[in-house]
Amino acid sequence: MTTTASTASSAEVADLPLLLESPGRRMWRRFLKNPVGVTSSIVIVLFFTVALVMGICSMLGIYFPYNPNTTELTQKLLPPSAAHWLGTDNLGRDVLSRLLNGSYISLTVGFVAVAVSLFIGVTVGAISGYFGGWIDNIIMRVVDAILCFPSFFLILTAVALLGPNIMNIIVVIGLVSWTGTARLVRAEFLTLRETEYVRAAKALGIRTPGIIFRHILPNAAAPIIVTAVVGIPDAILTEAGLSFLGFGVQPPQATWGNIISDGKTYLLDAWWLIVFPGMAIFIAALAFYLAGDALRQAAESRSERK
Amino acid sequence: MLNFIIRRLAISVVLAFLISLISFFIITLTPGSPYPWGELNPKITPQVKEAFKKKFHLDRPLIEQYWLNMRDLFNGNLKSIKDDRPVLQKIGERLPATISLNVLAAVISLSFGLALGVYAAKHAGKTPDLLTSILAFIFIAMPGFWISYLIVIGLVRFTDVPILGTQSYGVIFTNSASLWLDRFWHIALPAVVLSIGGIAVQSRFIRASMIETLREDYIRTARAKGLEPDTVFFKHALRNSIRPLITGIGGLLPGLIGGSVIIETIFAYPGLGRLGYEAVLERDYPTLVAINFIVAALILLGNLISDVLYAVVDPRVRLE
Amino acid sequence: MIRFFLHGLPALLIVAIAVAFFNETRLSSDKKNEMTIGSIAEPSMLNPIQQADAAASDVGGMIFNGLLKYSADLEITTDLAKSFTLSQHTTIFFDDPKTVPGAMGKLFFMRGRWADWKLTDVRQDGSSLVLTFSEPGMAASQEILGLFDAKTLIPSTIIRVDLEGKAVETLKAWRATETGARAVRDWVESDAAFEVTAVGDPAPVVKDLQDFLAGRTQKGTVTVGDVLPFLAEPIVDFTLRDDVKWHDGAPFTSADVVFTYRAIMDDAVASPRKPDFLYIQAVETPDPHTVRVVYRKPYSPALQSWMIGLLPSHLLEGKSPEWWAQNFNRNPIGTGPFKFSEWKTNEYVRLVRNPDYFGAPGPWLDSMVYRVLSDQLSLRLAFETRQIDFWGVDPWAVSEFQKDKRFDLFSYPSSSYSYVGWNLKRPIFQDERVRRALAHAVNVPEMIKYILYGYGVQSTGIFLPQMWFFNPDVKPIPYDVEKARQLLAEAGWKPGADGILTKDGQRFTFTIITNNGTEVRRDIATLIQDNFRQIGIEVKIELYEWAVFLKNFINKGDFDAMVLGWALGPDYDQYQIWHSSQNNPEQLNVVGYKNPEVDKLLVDIRQEYNRDKIIEMAGKLQSIIYKDQPYLFLFVPQGTSVLWKDSYRIRRPDGKGGWIDSPVEMTKAGWSYYSEWFYRPEYADKLPR
Repeated sequence: MTTTASTASSAEVADLPLLLESPGRRMWRRFLKNPVGVTSSIVIVLFFTVALVMGICSMLGIYFPYNPNTTELTQKLLPPSAAHWLGTDNLGRDVLSRLLNGSYISLTVGFVAVAVSLFIGVTVGAISGYFGGWIDNIIMRVVDAILCFPSFFLILTAVALLGPNIMNIIVVIGLVSWTGTARLVRAEFLTLRETEYVRAAKALGIRTPGIIFRHILPNAAAPIIVTAVVGIPDAILTEAGLSFLGFGVQPPQATWGNIISDGKTYLLDAWWLIVFPGMAIFIAALAFYLAGDALRQAAESRSERK
Repeated sequence: MLNFIIRRLAISVVLAFLISLISFFIITLTPGSPYPWGELNPKITPQVKEAFKKKFHLDRPLIEQYWLNMRDLFNGNLKSIKDDRPVLQKIGERLPATISLNVLAAVISLSFGLALGVYAAKHAGKTPDLLTSILAFIFIAMPGFWISYLIVIGLVRFTDVPILGTQSYGVIFTNSASLWLDRFWHIALPAVVLSIGGIAVQSRFIRASMIETLREDYIRTARAKGLEPDTVFFKHALRNSIRPLITGIGGLLPGLIGGSVIIETIFAYPGLGRLGYEAVLERDYPTLVAINFIVAALILLGNLISDVLYAVVDPRVRLE
Repeated sequence: MIRFFLHGLPALLIVAIAVAFFNETRLSSDKKNEMTIGSIAEPSMLNPIQQADAAASDVGGMIFNGLLKYSADLEITTDLAKSFTLSQHTTIFFDDPKTVPGAMGKLFFMRGRWADWKLTDVRQDGSSLVLTFSEPGMAASQEILGLFDAKTLIPSTIIRVDLEGKAVETLKAWRATETGARAVRDWVESDAAFEVTAVGDPAPVVKDLQDFLAGRTQKGTVTVGDVLPFLAEPIVDFTLRDDVKWHDGAPFTSADVVFTYRAIMDDAVASPRKPDFLYIQAVETPDPHTVRVVYRKPYSPALQSWMIGLLPSHLLEGKSPEWWAQNFNRNPIGTGPFKFSEWKTNEYVRLVRNPDYFGAPGPWLDSMVYRVLSDQLSLRLAFETRQIDFWGVDPWAVSEFQKDKRFDLFSYPSSSYSYVGWNLKRPIFQDERVRRALAHAVNVPEMIKYILYGYGVQSTGIFLPQMWFFNPDVKPIPYDVEKARQLLAEAGWKPGADGILTKDGQRFTFTIITNNGTEVRRDIATLIQDNFRQIGIEVKIELYEWAVFLKNFINKGDFDAMVLGWALGPDYDQYQIWHSSQNNPEQLNVVGYKNPEVDKLLVDIRQEYNRDKIIEMAGKLQSIIYKDQPYLFLFVPQGTSVLWKDSYRIRRPDGKGGWIDSPVEMTKAGWSYYSEWFYRPEYADKLPR
């Protein structure tokens, strides 16, 4: 249903390219009018800034407020206080420091995994949708087959196979999550390649890559961006689940997921070990989902017309 | 249509084998070997290990191992490396618990999702719509294990109510109603957590579908005829909007026996998810082969059912 | 219809869950006369000769009995056997039957020393002299051998025959055709190998065997093995209880003992207990209540092996191991205080009272439930909601439970210790001073205080403090950073520009590996990393999944240092862990420890039956290995169990026909040693006075 809606809009835009502003601009304008979208984007930017700063700091060896990996056994399992705002864990490490430090890893996992899955998904979907025919047929059967893999077990075994370091986890999450994007892109391409302006471009003798990158892809950008934004929290949640089972990023490196997983044993007495990192995941994921939804609404023309 | 079904079935069978073959390779290539007695046992001699490897064909080439495993799966002789019991029996004894949990979770997510979605659609664009959509995203964004833990801790800390397993232990039940309620309670809690994400997804889905339908010409016509708005909304629009929901039932099939490792671990629930997870840790190849094959087959079957239902519900669709 | 779905169904679900919740809050507080034990691990199966996991032996211990068992003080005592006696036959071969009477005369002349030697009888058997001792071992026999003229003695040789299957039949067939070959003893080693002892020159016997094999289609190889100065054959005589019945009512007899032994040795049965029984030459049953076990050579740990739970021959004889796996192993029949009743995978194993138990009128509880939960947290949740009565608590939770007046805690030294193993093949760990320095640098007391919350003691070597052969004179290496620096400096390690120690341009840096999933080990690694940083050693930590950890690193010996633990039975035999021959891939001396003195002690202690001598040798072993520091021995954790206060008491026989009534108490063998005598105070009226 969403696909048909956005197709209609692209077609309209193509008819009146000079009278209206570009689809990207219009989407952006509408997005800025949506308070939910704006609020969640601010939250995302905040998270992103913190993660970036923490990432740079940890590369420079500067830590705030404490070194996230320094153990101080005399200070273990302390509840939140002035010295440790979010308390300490079972090895006396400062939870706030670990949370901040972990944000950089967790967001990296989210962004890079989505980048991987987008790259594969868009490429495969574009080829399938643009060329159609038997190529499309084969690719779609492969996509069907991949969707049939019990994905969580596949991730578990693949991580066990490759070894649980950050890069591998990112790649594996990316590798199993591209199928949705591929299907979406294919659907967009299937309709867009039949539009007047693509036919016109073909008639003018523009070469295939030019058509794909210059003419079709920009018009399919909106739904792709929406899947990407929604894919980020999915990847973050998957990493958290893996960490929970002990297949996540290796200690002592903190991620939101493994702070919870390390703290689960102490749960009944040290609620701060799970509540705060859980909140971080939850708020970040919520912000991404709401922003994604706002983007989607902005990209749809009908919702405005109503 | 019969032709279509037969052709799809044939493709599905081939696919299921292909999938199970690939997952078998991935599993067996993973470092670590299945050895139920613990590698660091001073009492075990190399001869004992050899005899064991031979028994489970672990000394054969991979492709032959796969073939032997599949053959045994189909004649029912496939044995788990962990305890030497038939794998199908091990899977079978988990089924009642797994199915009852997942059916309840499906019922909860469908019914609440439907209610929320319809509510949102009825007030589309207004505050209730905004609130329900934010609620839906809150549901999706909550990590399942996190919310489970919060529920579990809250209940134990404040009520002393048992929550783990499939029923209470050591208690003398005064009547059978109490016993059945006890069992229901032990399914309900994990089912609620399992269904949280489902509620959100279903409600978004229904809402979108409803809004789409409400724009259709026949709804306008019905309204124009002067029919009661409620009648139009619930009778005409809703009926047509839940069509995609019905076709989605096929997609539920694999979910009914698939499990969630994390939720099952937290609630100590004896489901298939934990069986599979433990099999991964123990490198119990035969059990994994069986589970992977069955799950893949169910997903394929679910897809097929969805497609067929789609044609049944919507006469405009033809299967070729 | 559609409106019902919209409003009715959600409302119905909410009401149903609310009612269920209300029901839970009002569940009867009356408890069944049963005990629920919580555990993370589930038994793999319930078959004493096939299982190898702790959970199975916990549950199996209630269902099965062995001939012997450990007492509450971890000493060996009888169970299904009424009594047992040890003895040994030593056979010395002479070149001429005529020299034997002279040798006998020499011995009778020295009658005054018989008591020291524990010699009870001497007799002639052809050209050999058979000595009977009341205590097995090698020392006395060797001393006596020295009395005789060496020229008149003939040594014997072990000849091994490896076949392609069917060793029993081949041996029988060869025995039937055997003509003049002087082979005095033989036994079947496995399905595909047997051994023969030849007296004097082994050549004719070897030739005889080779000729025999050449005449058959079955291929085989003949190898000449050890040469022995005499044959020393320990004997254990068991007298069985005659009042024992299997759970199905059949009487327990010596046939069950033989059956169990044969099943263990059967190659069709995958039994991890096989190596314990390899030294047995024969198990004989003169009558239904007597069992005689003859060993090929002194092997003192063999006695413990008869603690293995016995199997009912009347049910299992002639059945295939596949049949066992699907029937017996999940529905076992034993002789113990509790009968198997029900097993729901990943939920529980339920045992019910055996009214015909030979320790009747006990046990007092109607049933025992062994409940399987997923992790420590769920165990604790279940305990606090009174869903389980007892479980082994993690140290951190102990400190929380201690504050709570509702609970009783029982602590006992666990049968395991944690250590850091140094790969002695890596040059940096080859200097003993460096290893000592590393031991000085680690603050073990602090580790115990913070990782174990004080529930543990510092380990001083390979044996555990609660064992009777533990050497209390070995003192732990103290935490002393200065001493560590000094030792490292002596060994040539000097701080470099970045503060990291260097020697010959090489920085002191290595990787510690351990398995993930065990928090204590992860925490140990983290703390050691911190401790070593202070003396200028850079440590990296890598965690792997257990299966990967073993296969890729431990079994291959490919690591610098690793954190692990040993869980040990009350057994002084640690040949597999420390002997220098056990350093190949997949063997247990993974660190590559090698010390000739230790090698000799490890071999000798296996052949020693004398308690005092065992204590002496074990003490030496412990102190030498601790001095060498192939491991950085860390600590022996305390196990702690929690019970709701006064929920159980113990009433056990005092051995004189009366009863001892006490609260649940600690023994060396753990708090649950008397679990068959546990009772709930609210059901006390069912008990005998």
